[in-house]
Amino acid sequence: MRKSVIILFAKQLWQTTFRSKVLHITMVLVTILIAFAAYSGWDNYNTQNRIRNFYQEEARHSWESNPDKHPHRMAHYGSFAFRLKHKLSLFDFGMENYTGNAVFLEAHKQNTINFSEASLSTGLLRFGEVSLAMLLKIIFPLLIFYLGFGALASERENNTLKIMINQGATWSEIFFGKSLGLMSLAMFFFVPVIIITLLFMFLAEGNAITSSELLRYFILILSYILFFGIISSITILISAMSKTAKDSLIKLLGIWLFFIIILPKTLQAFGHYLYPTPSKIEFESIVENDLIKEGDSHNPDDIHYKAIKDSVLLANNVESVDQLPFNYGGFIMSQSEKISASIYNQHLNDLLTTYKSQNAIERFSAILNPYTAIKHISMAFSGTDFASYINFQHQAEHYRYRLAQEMNSLQMKFIPNKKTDTPSVIDKSHWEAFPDFKYDHLPVLSILKNEALSILSLILWSILSIIIVKKISQKTKVL
Amino acid sequence: MYSILFKSFIRTKIAAISLVLLLGVGIISVFIGKQFNIKQEKAIIEAESFQEESIKRNVKYHNDDLGLLLYYLRFSLVKESNSLTGLSIGQRDVNPSILAVTIRGLEGQKYDTDFENPSLLLSGNLDLGFVIIYLFPLVLITLTFNLYSEEKEGKTWRLIATQTSSPLNFLFKKLSIRVFFLYIVLVILFLLAIIILQLPINEALLAFIVVSVLYLAFWTSLCFIIISFRKNSSFNALTLLSLWIVLTILLPASINNFVVNTYPVPETLKTMVEQRDGYHKKWDMAKEVTMDKFFAHYPQYKKYPVPKDKFSWLWYYGMQQMGDDESLESSKMMKTKIKLREKVSEAISWAIPTMHAQLTFNQIAQSDLNNHLLFLDHLDKYHEELRLYFYPKIFENYPVRNENWKEFKPKRASIVHTINWTNSILPLVFLTVVISLISFFNLRKI
Repeated sequence: MRKSVIILFAKQLWQTTFRSKVLHITMVLVTILIAFAAYSGWDNYNTQNRIRNFYQEEARHSWESNPDKHPHRMAHYGSFAFRLKHKLSLFDFGMENYTGNAVFLEAHKQNTINFSEASLSTGLLRFGEVSLAMLLKIIFPLLIFYLGFGALASERENNTLKIMINQGATWSEIFFGKSLGLMSLAMFFFVPVIIITLLFMFLAEGNAITSSELLRYFILILSYILFFGIISSITILISAMSKTAKDSLIKLLGIWLFFIIILPKTLQAFGHYLYPTPSKIEFESIVENDLIKEGDSHNPDDIHYKAIKDSVLLANNVESVDQLPFNYGGFIMSQSEKISASIYNQHLNDLLTTYKSQNAIERFSAILNPYTAIKHISMAFSGTDFASYINFQHQAEHYRYRLAQEMNSLQMKFIPNKKTDTPSVIDKSHWEAFPDFKYDHLPVLSILKNEALSILSLILWSILSIIIVKKISQKTKVL
Repeated sequence: MYSILFKSFIRTKIAAISLVLLLGVGIISVFIGKQFNIKQEKAIIEAESFQEESIKRNVKYHNDDLGLLLYYLRFSLVKESNSLTGLSIGQRDVNPSILAVTIRGLEGQKYDTDFENPSLLLSGNLDLGFVIIYLFPLVLITLTFNLYSEEKEGKTWRLIATQTSSPLNFLFKKLSIRVFFLYIVLVILFLLAIIILQLPINEALLAFIVVSVLYLAFWTSLCFIIISFRKNSSFNALTLLSLWIVLTILLPASINNFVVNTYPVPETLKTMVEQRDGYHKKWDMAKEVTMDKFFAHYPQYKKYPVPKDKFSWLWYYGMQQMGDDESLESSKMMKTKIKLREKVSEAISWAIPTMHAQLTFNQIAQSDLNNHLLFLDHLDKYHEELRLYFYPKIFENYPVRNENWKEFKPKRASIVHTINWTNSILPLVFLTVVISLISFFNLRKI
């Protein structure tokens, strides 16, 4: 293969493409779409984070302004966790609008994460959203197909292919040249998108850009380059194997529809069909039944809690709870919080495992479907995928638990066992001492681990497309 | 003539394959709807037994204190199930159809969601509505994009033009045969849906079918107008697919972005914080602060004395009430904003048939956002009824055992939806007629 010839073919593809009028219209449309998607992602990021930060501070301020009081009142006063968006969520909205945004955190009770954008939306949300990533994942492949369907098929139809071969070009030169040309056309549209994304990341309100965000950004760029490479070679392949340009176009459109629109949705629906989940009521009654088995801390005759009481009295060598060196009520509540939280989390984890099984089929199809691979990589590194959401849920629950237990231990330490004339309160400085909820996004390493399969799929597909292009170029006939 | 066209059509492989695939996915979608309906019905039955059990258990534990008992007891409001929902699941997977609440502050409980896999919500339900809105037009495009161009490209058009009296008539017949097959698939799917989902034959079902038929008529006219420009097959395929993408993905999605960004709803979080502060902060204030406001809200309870230095349920429920009262404004504002979103979306949908079909399907199947808002209104009412019933009993320390607890079964909210025929079909009819007229005008001199 001669480099100069490959570049010549690549250039030729550029020239024929840019000569067509339809391309100019397409370019205008794509530019408008990119501008709209970028602006709307940025606007949404700023607005939502501004709102969530504002109320997080508001709620915190109100927490700190509480007077001296009994710590258990504060455990019920509770706190909130509002889910902050990752900066890259302006690039890929992922499933964020379907996940809850706000949860009230209080002692004894795990509340649901409420107010997802979906719950406030009309049926329109079903049509999806326009984000930069959506354009790259769904519209760009179609664009590449459209720019490349005739790359070889038209040459064959016009008999120019024969002339090229006769003049000494080899098949692999034509193949790699055309693929390279198509790939660079894709880059022509892709580069503005990545520049705009970076620009908006810098312009976004809030903290300055971090190195982890930049790392995620570069991984995204790399993955998309691989994806477009794969799509370009598929296009050239189909174009080479089709007799006419029309045939090639119809095949490519079919591939697009099947692999991008129909297959992922059908597989997800199938997964849901295979692994049904309990209704909320069923879930709650299972949890409640398990809790009852563990005993009732409110019931003075409960065997389980009586046993705890006896062993505590024995261990401290006293005869009644009044003589204990710590507040007995606080102690019992900390025990009961520990038990109920662990039961709840156990069932929640079961539920999450079922969700993962439901998702597994669609996720594994990434091996066969590069679109699925890039879809998951893109969401994961933009902090808008399933794992990111679960991460938020875990952090919120963890904070809730710490809050409840901190208040219990304050009660054990400072509240006397015997009722006194003055109400039992502790100093308000304790409220400020307990830190506010802070949401940390997943570290890059764990995302890499989560998405190993999708990344592997993209790499395999890239290698495979090079091999196939090489193989086919030895076999293809001119006519 | 028809029989020849008919034969030539069924011999085309791609037509047969796409129709069979469509039928297959359509049948799957009906079963997905069935699965959804079954899950909903099961949940309602569970809600009934769960409520009975939990009331029984709590009454046993807290049989000497009605105020404490009602702290725990949860009463469910259930949305009447509607088998038509299986055809268009809409927002039903996002918004709960069963809400269980205690008589404590409502704003803290009203918005609790169900558990659902967000990946599934993202990919959306593969219901019959989806098949009709997305897949039927695609198959229609496959069947018709080369209606004229294949004759031209196969060099048979001149033969036809000379041998038939009216070439336009020929094209029209060819089109009607292809569309006929598509409608046959639609009819089969509706028949299957009626049997499998046990749909009652009523006005709502009729409306659903009529909207589907008209929606496909719109797409037929759209295909026909592209054909009427008499370009080559590649051009037609590309143009029609682009139109499909614009109408089913880009336009509705952009409008959704626009609506979400133009009308953010910070009142959701505001309500949450105000509800918490409105209730919890009262613990640190003088009892009069709560009671004055409470008695202003419910003057009928003024007669009950509030103990000065000790806890009382009157004071406690008064404080709970303050959570609702003090977040009322934000809560109302939230609802207004959500309604505004619905209104704007609907107004825009008049010009975009895909959006119109989706929103209308959801309305007919009672799975739209407005239906959920009405459900929440029912919840407001039910919660108030419970309060008014139990408040005096709590304040009078009515004995727990004198109450007939067996009567407290989940209440069913029946939300009636009257079909607005004009709104449902007018936009589709209008667009179809206009586009068809232009096509015929284009083809008058073929």
